[in-house]
Amino acid sequence: MSLSQQDLNLEDAKEQLLEECEGIWKQVEECQNKLTFQEIETVPATDPKLSLLLHRMKALTAEFNQWQKRTPEIITTNPDVLVALGKDQLQRLDHDLEMILSTVHAKNKKLNEDLLREQQWLEEQQQLIDCLDQTEKEISNQVVQFSEKRAFQELKSKMLKIKAYKEELLNALGEFVEKHFPLPEDDGIQKKKTRSSREEDVQLITLHEILESLINTLINKPHDPYVTINNSFWSPYIELLLRYGIALRHLEDPSRIRLENFYD
Amino acid sequence: MSTLAAFGKLPTLNSATILLVGTNEIFQQQLAETILQEKQDLKINIHLADSLPLPPERDHIRPRIDLIVFMVNMQSKHSYSNIEASLVHVDASFFLGKVCFLATGAGRLNQISIEVNAVLKLADLYCSPVLFCELECEKIRIATAQRLLRMLRICAGHMSGVSALSFSSLMKSSIGDSSFLA
Repeated sequence: MSLSQQDLNLEDAKEQLLEECEGIWKQVEECQNKLTFQEIETVPATDPKLSLLLHRMKALTAEFNQWQKRTPEIITTNPDVLVALGKDQLQRLDHDLEMILSTVHAKNKKLNEDLLREQQWLEEQQQLIDCLDQTEKEISNQVVQFSEKRAFQELKSKMLKIKAYKEELLNALGEFVEKHFPLPEDDGIQKKKTRSSREEDVQLITLHEILESLINTLINKPHDPYVTINNSFWSPYIELLLRYGIALRHLEDPSRIRLENFYD
Repeated sequence: MSTLAAFGKLPTLNSATILLVGTNEIFQQQLAETILQEKQDLKINIHLADSLPLPPERDHIRPRIDLIVFMVNMQSKHSYSNIEASLVHVDASFFLGKVCFLATGAGRLNQISIEVNAVLKLADLYCSPVLFCELECEKIRIATAQRLLRMLRICAGHMSGVSALSFSSLMKSSIGDSSFLA
């Protein structure tokens, strides 16, 4: 078949199709003419349902009859038109299928990427778990050692330190008191001798000793921390203790004193 | 009183026309834009009106209307009464499947001033389906637009084998509306 003849055939097919379309359009126009002759039916405002339902029934019956009578329409039998139509449809199908293929490919790719990512993530998590397990084991071993040996030793060393410090403080205090508040030596005793002979045989105790006895009484007998003043207490020191608020006199018995409550 | 005729004009080639009737212009605009955004192989004409009848002086340039959508705003009594008044101006042939009610804003129960039943009853009275739609939500708006377009295709005769009447009969039977007859 030469090229010109093919063109001629195509022209013929076009012509035929146009003619068929014209025919159909004429039918439409005829129907339209009939329809315009029909008067417009308005819906009654009060109860439209009944009239509408009747209308519907009529229309449905008509449609039903139409379907019964109707024969399937056959498109033009011109082979060229059919070939063109088939080609067109096949091309459209091809195009659609290609689109689907590309979509599926893209989806597949994405799924693969997702899978890889998930696997990687899983691996990382696994590593993390292993790592954590290991550290947990190590830590649990250490904890046992800590609680039994080390803590004990630490406490021990702390206690020793504190004891040493306490000793140091006590020594310092003792030295201080010995140095600055000595017993009235010879001349004091001589004075006493001159003043009263009765006190001769009494051995005076140091401020250090007074304080010690006060502290011991307070600690040992907290319910009754009073110490009775006797002749071995040198009165200026008692006076000193009372004046500077280190000791307190008993409210009823002036011969008894106690240490101030420094810890309150 | 001019009545909107269903078959007054010849259909135009490869196109379909939808008429949106409602008092809320913003909703109409939104819905129209959403409908136009849907990709279609036929030309869609959208006409907006706040009430019927349509002005007669522009009747000659208006194409044949294939589907009327009455938009009832559930939050406004005015919109309901307006639709009620407009329904009188519609050709009875339209009610053979070419009319649909679109109830908007029924989701917010505390704000509605019209009962849902009232709208369902009205639609039942005129043998037409009701669609519910929240136009503020974009996804629902798109879905509604797609539904309306599908109905429009059927009403304009672009689906071979289905007529507007048979389609609406199918829709009605699925609603099961006998409860509103009482």
